[in-house]
Amino acid sequence: MHRRDVIRGLSAGLVAGGIAAPFVSRAAAQSGKTLVFGGSVPLSGAAAETGLNVNNGYITAVDYLNEHGGVEIGGEKYQLKLSLFDDASDPSRAVTLIQRQLDEGTQFFLGSFGSNIVLPTAAVVERAGKLMVQTGGGSDQIFTKGYKNIFGMYPRASRQTRSTPEFFKGLKPEPRSISVVLTNDAFSKTSAQGMVNDCKAAGFEVLGTYELPEKVTDVSSVLAAIRAKTPDILACVTHDQDSLLIARQMIATGTNVKLLLQELGPQLASYRESLGKYAEGICVHTYWEPDAPFKGKFFPTAAKFAEYYHSKFTRPITYHVAGAAACIVTYILAMQDAKSTEPAKVRDALAKADYETFYGRIKFTPDGDGDPLLMGPSMAQVQKGKLELVFPENARTAPTIYPVPPWDKKA
Amino acid sequence: MNLILQTLADGLVLGGIYALAAVGFSLIFGVMQVINLSHGVIVVIGAYLALILSRLLAVDPLLTIPLVMAALFVFGYAYQRWLVQLAVERSSLLASMLLTFGVALMLRNILVWIFSPDFKTISPPYAFVHFHLGELTFDLVRVSALATSLVLLCLLAAALHWTRFGRIVRATAQQNLAARLCGVDARHVYALTFGVSAAFAGASGIAIGMVLPFAPPDEAFWTLNAFVVVTLGGVGSPAGALVGGLLLGIVNTLTAQYVGPAFPNATMFLILVLMLLVRPSGLLGNAFSPSR
Repeated sequence: MHRRDVIRGLSAGLVAGGIAAPFVSRAAAQSGKTLVFGGSVPLSGAAAETGLNVNNGYITAVDYLNEHGGVEIGGEKYQLKLSLFDDASDPSRAVTLIQRQLDEGTQFFLGSFGSNIVLPTAAVVERAGKLMVQTGGGSDQIFTKGYKNIFGMYPRASRQTRSTPEFFKGLKPEPRSISVVLTNDAFSKTSAQGMVNDCKAAGFEVLGTYELPEKVTDVSSVLAAIRAKTPDILACVTHDQDSLLIARQMIATGTNVKLLLQELGPQLASYRESLGKYAEGICVHTYWEPDAPFKGKFFPTAAKFAEYYHSKFTRPITYHVAGAAACIVTYILAMQDAKSTEPAKVRDALAKADYETFYGRIKFTPDGDGDPLLMGPSMAQVQKGKLELVFPENARTAPTIYPVPPWDKKA
Repeated sequence: MNLILQTLADGLVLGGIYALAAVGFSLIFGVMQVINLSHGVIVVIGAYLALILSRLLAVDPLLTIPLVMAALFVFGYAYQRWLVQLAVERSSLLASMLLTFGVALMLRNILVWIFSPDFKTISPPYAFVHFHLGELTFDLVRVSALATSLVLLCLLAAALHWTRFGRIVRATAQQNLAARLCGVDARHVYALTFGVSAAFAGASGIAIGMVLPFAPPDEAFWTLNAFVVVTLGGVGSPAGALVGGLLLGIVNTLTAQYVGPAFPNATMFLILVLMLLVRPSGLLGNAFSPSR
């Protein structure tokens, strides 16, 4: 054999191998019955702190189900596999990553974290006729564009605070006024608008609505305005880092209200550690706690889920971890109902879903967001450094502290 | 009336921090014409170093300033001498910009790797203390950050104006060739300047870490912020950084109070564009330009 023939043969082999490789690997995956979940998560960039929690939730569910022999769908056993990439909290990068996975044939997607990322990626997945179940985006815009294939574990933002006025009304002495602080992003704006509308409808006086830029470095002007016109309740529909900044500046400037509610932030152990005893009494909406009385298939209870999570990760657990794992559990339950992994059939099963799980009852509205009554948030309050459920009554683990003592009394 | 005064006072405090965070960027740009896009990440590294050292040594974070500045001086010297300088000599100033951008990305990811993406805070015992002057409320930690900023800026201004090191830096910036003909080792001076700039960026990181929660992705904001401060105040001098920083701080709080809290960034960039059109060298001009 001549050297030229050897080179030719090798080249042909390499080219054929290169072209065939994706098909070979896909065929191998299918013969091994592997279900692949694609998507992106923010493991770096501004949303990385919660992004890491979401990612850990996905890993927890997949590892648990695989360790228990995989899942049975339509009489066949499947192992689960994650194909997630770091989108660096960048929506355009996330779209590129999702498009690449669509081109490679991924059928089932999990969500990133943050409405600003979920919104464009959901559009791409919907257009391709594939599915997405996500726990990272609550903005109304995700659920009001007529998408049929996008499902979210939260009610849309404007409905998330629907039960909040009822909580306020249960406080003694009953508060009369509220001010709302929000940041200029898709989630905060719609959620804050919902909060304002709900509170006005319930008869509360809204003293002020303060919109901050997306990147906040100082809230002294807003706090000066709040000190000049102090509401009973201050609600901050802001993200983790901004919530902490607001709380720290409130303490440092002696800006007191009877109750501080922050939509995101206090659910993180790092937030509570940073404020120490000053965190006492701050309220936060939460969608899940490890001691919640939820039971379901796969993870038998919320506590068992938390126990398994802690056996794998040292990072404190948050509701985002559980929500992410619930996305995968919901997918599998829908596939089992559909007895198929065909996207159209799974989509129909998801639309009809009504499942009891470790995360609570899962049922979507016709627009794909979580049912506001079944999947809406509970109210938690920081008490002795940990979160206690204070509303609704039937889930309460501790009475609400109200009015919360002024900051200098907590020192 | 009180609200206006409170807004102005808040703006001055914020501006002082902005000024310290920008002075290193200004110095490097003024002396070497290098736009250091890794400036912000050095600020954030300063905050992380202060966090570690203050916990390790159980001291006030402000007392870690000498150690943080020393460590970042060494880092800055080596970084300029063996990376930035090579890029400038072998290619162009543009290459140095790309290089510093790449280094910023790498360092940001290394910080995520070491410290996780979770935000951190530096909380000295007086972190949540406030005091009143008349009817104005002041947050002690911000005021101490402002005081630190003013002291460090004055020290730098004095060093540049009255010491031999300052004279050499100014000479090299104004007339590189003439300085070299007089026996000045320009490369060494550039590296020293970069080291001093990194040290000041690190010190500002301590002040910022006491005031704001911080995480690795914040670095981009502090680079951008430094750029705006320098464009407003002028290049190369602590005074320019101080004027730019204070102006930016006041514009920020006044806009937030009287236009809307969502608009400080929009106003900031509007002023940036106007300055570039009307007075591109900044309010105080380029401190090293007369001899060029």
